[in-house]
Amino acid sequence: MMADRRRINGPPGGTRPAVFASNLQSGTSATDRAQRQRQPSELRKIFLKTGLIPTASGSSYLEFEPSASLAAARANPKSLIPPSSALKLACTVHGPKPLPRSAAFSPNLVLTTHIKYAPFAARQRKGHIRDASERDLGVHLETALRGAIIAERWPKSGLDITITILEAEDDRWWGSAPDSHDASWGMMNVLAGCITAASAAIADAHIDCLDLVAGGVAALVSDDSASTSTVAPKLMLDTDPAEHRSILSACVVAYMPARDEITELWLKGDSSKASLEDGDDRTGHEALIDGAVDAARGAHAVLAEAVRESLLKTVGQA
Amino acid sequence: MSNQRQASSASQVPHLSPAELSYLYSSLSLPKTPIRPDGRSPTQFRPLTAETNILPGTNGSARIGFADGTQAIVGVKAEVEKTVLANETLARNDGGAGLDRGEQEGSAAVGGHGSWVQMSIEIPGFRDDDALPVFLSEMMRESLVGAVGTREASDMAGGLKERLVINKRWHWRLYIDVLLLSQPLAYPLPLLSLTTHLALLSTKLPKRKSQGEEDPFFDDDWAVAEYLYPRPSLSSGKTNSTGSSFVRPPVTLLVISVGENIIFDPNREEIAVADAVLAISITRDSEAGTLKLLSIRTVDPPSRLTQPGVPNSENVSMLGAVAPTEDVAVLNPATGEEEVPGVWRPRRGGVKRSVIAEMVKTALKKGGVGEEVLEGLEGVEVS
Amino acid sequence: MAPPAATAAPSVPPSLSLPPSQFARLQPHAYLLGHLSPPSASNQPSIRANGRAPSQFRVTSANAGSLTHTNGSAVVRIGDTAAVCGVRAELLHTEDIASWSVSQASGSNKRRRLADLGEKPTEEDEDEDPEEDRAHIEDLNLLVPNLSLSTGCAPGFIPGAAPSALAQSLSHQILSLLHSTRLVRADDLRVWYQPPNLGPEELERHNDEEQMDVDAEQSATAEEKPREIKAFWVLYIDIMIISLAGNPFDAAWAAVLAALRDTKLPKAWWDVDNETIVCSDSVADARKLSLRGLPVASSYGVFEADAAAGWRANVIPDAVEENAQAQKDKKGSPERWILADPDGYEEGLIQERACVVIDKEKDGKTTIVKMEKNGGWTVDTEDLRQLVEMSARRWDEMKRILEQC
Repeated sequence: MMADRRRINGPPGGTRPAVFASNLQSGTSATDRAQRQRQPSELRKIFLKTGLIPTASGSSYLEFEPSASLAAARANPKSLIPPSSALKLACTVHGPKPLPRSAAFSPNLVLTTHIKYAPFAARQRKGHIRDASERDLGVHLETALRGAIIAERWPKSGLDITITILEAEDDRWWGSAPDSHDASWGMMNVLAGCITAASAAIADAHIDCLDLVAGGVAALVSDDSASTSTVAPKLMLDTDPAEHRSILSACVVAYMPARDEITELWLKGDSSKASLEDGDDRTGHEALIDGAVDAARGAHAVLAEAVRESLLKTVGQA
Repeated sequence: MSNQRQASSASQVPHLSPAELSYLYSSLSLPKTPIRPDGRSPTQFRPLTAETNILPGTNGSARIGFADGTQAIVGVKAEVEKTVLANETLARNDGGAGLDRGEQEGSAAVGGHGSWVQMSIEIPGFRDDDALPVFLSEMMRESLVGAVGTREASDMAGGLKERLVINKRWHWRLYIDVLLLSQPLAYPLPLLSLTTHLALLSTKLPKRKSQGEEDPFFDDDWAVAEYLYPRPSLSSGKTNSTGSSFVRPPVTLLVISVGENIIFDPNREEIAVADAVLAISITRDSEAGTLKLLSIRTVDPPSRLTQPGVPNSENVSMLGAVAPTEDVAVLNPATGEEEVPGVWRPRRGGVKRSVIAEMVKTALKKGGVGEEVLEGLEGVEVS
Repeated sequence: MAPPAATAAPSVPPSLSLPPSQFARLQPHAYLLGHLSPPSASNQPSIRANGRAPSQFRVTSANAGSLTHTNGSAVVRIGDTAAVCGVRAELLHTEDIASWSVSQASGSNKRRRLADLGEKPTEEDEDEDPEEDRAHIEDLNLLVPNLSLSTGCAPGFIPGAAPSALAQSLSHQILSLLHSTRLVRADDLRVWYQPPNLGPEELERHNDEEQMDVDAEQSATAEEKPREIKAFWVLYIDIMIISLAGNPFDAAWAAVLAALRDTKLPKAWWDVDNETIVCSDSVADARKLSLRGLPVASSYGVFEADAAAGWRANVIPDAVEENAQAQKDKKGSPERWILADPDGYEEGLIQERACVVIDKEKDGKTTIVKMEKNGGWTVDTEDLRQLVEMSARRWDEMKRILEQC
């Protein structure tokens, strides 16, 4: 690969991440897997604040509450390996601004979304150039927001939404074999956070929307340690993948409570084996979507509060 | 450039006038009996021609052409690769500690890895890092590696990922190259997905002659090569010719909702007026013989980017020519918004949960669209 | 249509018909000038448009150690400019360095000397070979700072595009400052290995557990077997400017400094059985970097009443007369102001910039680590002396902030 001349490159031979001795002897694991301390339908707290970046038309900063194990590890550090991580991201909105001259006429507001992980955001160092998963996230976010924005009010204009992820969610527990279930479940939590934060930033930029669109995640997890998975997987809201042995299926939605509509849905995995309460005749995927919508309602409450705060601030200034 | 920017996840914005869009929408949203421009029923696919094994240099290949002239070619190549896992590079030399690790290492190696399947999509007019190809390849790859069989089934227990494991130290790496040969007239997902499905069905891996953990070597006789997705053998397969007990590659269906109607395999004009667009990946559940959902993704409907029509009451040139009572906004039950009948409004908002449930149900139900498509592809003569 | 601002002469307070915010946009230069040189009658002090005195820095805050997946991290906010810095350490094995065996052979006796020194606890800077230090850190690229502005921090930086000229220049300024201050000690980054003395076999067997004891025993065995470097820590220092409102360098450098102060490296050793470097995940075993000093950067901009005055003499020969007049004026009233820590609005009006990096030793002696001035010629020796004094005061303030975080 060609060295990137516009950045400062490390040693040409490449470097290796540190290997910890406790990882090598997995028979006696130094730290046990983080356990979920919350109820199945209990959500993590979200810290959301708007208007922190004055050079942008709108901005927001979002942080998930650290899981119980992470909070304990922070308060009383023993191991250098963090048990889990908590999402932290900053979102800016620039615009509406005129489209470049070279652009074709558009009767609607043209949305551009851009999501980038900081190199230090995840357990594995990320590159400086966006990879496929980051581009994929950008498309998801665009779909989620475009349904909420009333785009025909800004013909011939563009809106740039940029999200920098300072700390991402884990895809699995760090101690699990890297391929035990390699789907990128953490990405779904990141997307839910991006949707909520972007929605707050758009409101901060005073762009007209149908409703504040909020993101939520639900998953079917199986936590039984026995290898015979006769116990059916359980439905949980706002799952932290680091806290579960195996995630079978997960779903993220972008949801507008006022219209009871979903602008973005991303569901993957096998949801057919969900165990629901008796008398619940929903299929697995329906239950999963409903769960994600419930999680999104929770995020919406935080979102509405943050937007009201930002509005009061604007009114106070005027 | 800006055209492509707008065309992020949902193909190009169609160049239809607001009047044309409005006409299309009202005929497609006729309660119960939508009228499609090409006369198909809501669940009917476009006629297509298909052939397999067209590229001699690949392990499997297929070509599908739709009647509207769009066609795609998919080639599958397999290479043997050494399994390297970050933690296990160390553990391998580790004689002492290896004892406790044996079990974990074994299970890990059997698991297979999603990154062993590599997919690239080439669409004319798009760079390979543009949003559309990236979104399409992620969508198709995720259902492909996510398709896991049940534990009882023998060979394909862990789905495609496990099939690629040769032994603890070696695995197959699969390169799936998807080429769209024509301009993307409609959203190219159904075409690419069907072609990929067919190419994978026809993919053969050479028969392994080595045993157990030794370095793999293979029989060079192509005639005895084994299918990547095992097929029912002719002797036993007669009674069960649909092959329902075998894992099959997934297929991704494009479904739109217009008004209260649900329409499969939309063409370019139809997708332009869709209220909601979903890509639903399904596969056959090897255990129950029914269909199983693998993933759902919403696709940004291009109808959000269309130009609005102007009702007569707001049209300056028509001022006074029409009675104000003529166009009164009525509530569209599908979108929950006030609209003047016959005047196009770009779609906004999302999709109701009930609509999603209905779309998935139609795709999955016994004798429904999904089964029809899978059986149709199964019927393509694999020579 | 006559431009409304034409009525507003520089000295007229912006009160006539335009609201101040619009006047600031239309005539930024006149607006700032009006603030800095109020009419003598009004008795107002000379103050910047943002309400600061010319020598006043913005409110600064720092917070370290909040990012989970880093060895050290910090967030620094200077006014509305915010920088996040994360330090990630990875290992560079000497076997991966192409030229390692060659350079090792040539410099072996020097290394030997260093190895002996390394056993004593190093207190002062002088007991390390500066040349060896430099060679390792600079030639092997052990410090890798990269600054990113593509975060939506300000309009004009397109996200996803290659680093802008500004971002590249800032990255290189940080790199050269890291090198020239010798902030990070190469010895902190080295992972040593003491080949076992073949005699006592139990030493080898307990190599893992008793690494610390081995260190103690080394003094006895070091004579026979020189210990060798098996790997280096490489510090990837990534700075994301989250919000840009002028003066990114001070914020970025402060974030780097705070993050490096927060950085902990795990204890690492050469594992003979696995033939690789293995680390301990115990926090108690990890150690912090011992940095050399605390260099603090302070940036300044020079705002000129008549931005073209100095240039006109050169560009238009006829203007010499005029220039002489301007020189005369200079003696009467100052026609330029040195603004500490310029914000985004002021940076747009500034040609000449200066940056001073200061460190203070324990006895309070001030060291100028770096001094840079470009873009004009109005700052003279006397001004530079004042800048150094101002920077020294800023150093005290920053030291307090960095020590609290």
